[in-house]
Amino acid sequence: MSEDISQLPPQVQERLLRFQQLQQSLQSIMAQKQQVELELTQIEQALAELQKLGEEAVIYKTTGSLMIKSEKGKVTAELNERKELLGTRATVIGKQEERVRTQLKEIQSKLQQDLSPVSQPQP
Amino acid sequence: MAEKSDEEFRRLSLESRILEQRAEAIQSRINMVSAVIADLNYSSVTLEGLEKERENAELLIPIGGESYAKARLVTPDKVIVGIGAGVSVEKRLQEAKEIMKKRLEDLERTRAALQQQFVQVVDMINKNRESVERLISETREGKAQQNV
Repeated sequence: MSEDISQLPPQVQERLLRFQQLQQSLQSIMAQKQQVELELTQIEQALAELQKLGEEAVIYKTTGSLMIKSEKGKVTAELNERKELLGTRATVIGKQEERVRTQLKEIQSKLQQDLSPVSQPQP
Repeated sequence: MAEKSDEEFRRLSLESRILEQRAEAIQSRINMVSAVIADLNYSSVTLEGLEKERENAELLIPIGGESYAKARLVTPDKVIVGIGAGVSVEKRLQEAKEIMKKRLEDLERTRAALQQQFVQVVDMINKNRESVERLISETREGKAQQNV
């Protein structure tokens, strides 16, 4: 495979390398996106559960290996703040994903042009 | 004809690889869900045991390394249940048991759905394998006829 690539013009090799780098970036962005979405889902579920409870409910918040007693209002506010922060992070990641996808599409179409004469059958 | 077979062979191989990756991913999710089910079953057994105890009953709290610290049960009718995002809520024991039961039911449903998906993907892999084997035997027969 690497021998095949080394036979390509340097410009195409460079483009292929860039394509692979962009694919890796996209994978990493998607992993971050998944992580943020997972945390957001957990927060939304926890907030929904908290809403069902009365103000006097006994609530604990995990901090490292400790569980500290807290209050519904305080925990709800903390979770909403974290949710807002994650929402912003999700928007940023979404924009990064869109940019990398556009770049990938562009480079893919250029690569198809670069490689199409090679794959065409000889007359 | 040979080119067409080659192309078909490549397509089937690629499809098989993708299907195998999907089967692995599903299997890994099944394992994760099964681990959580085992954990919830363990907690249900613990709750059943706690239900029989009275206030101030002597308990041993696991501290790792097969070692324990002595403790006393302060509120036998109340336990702390996690609700996600690092938040836990005090619940009556009966309520906690119902929560565990509901979670177990949801996870059992998820596992059944995943197992169904897994069977479907394995079925597709097997069909693909049969197609590859048929293609190989057809190619062999074609070559043998050419040699005659």
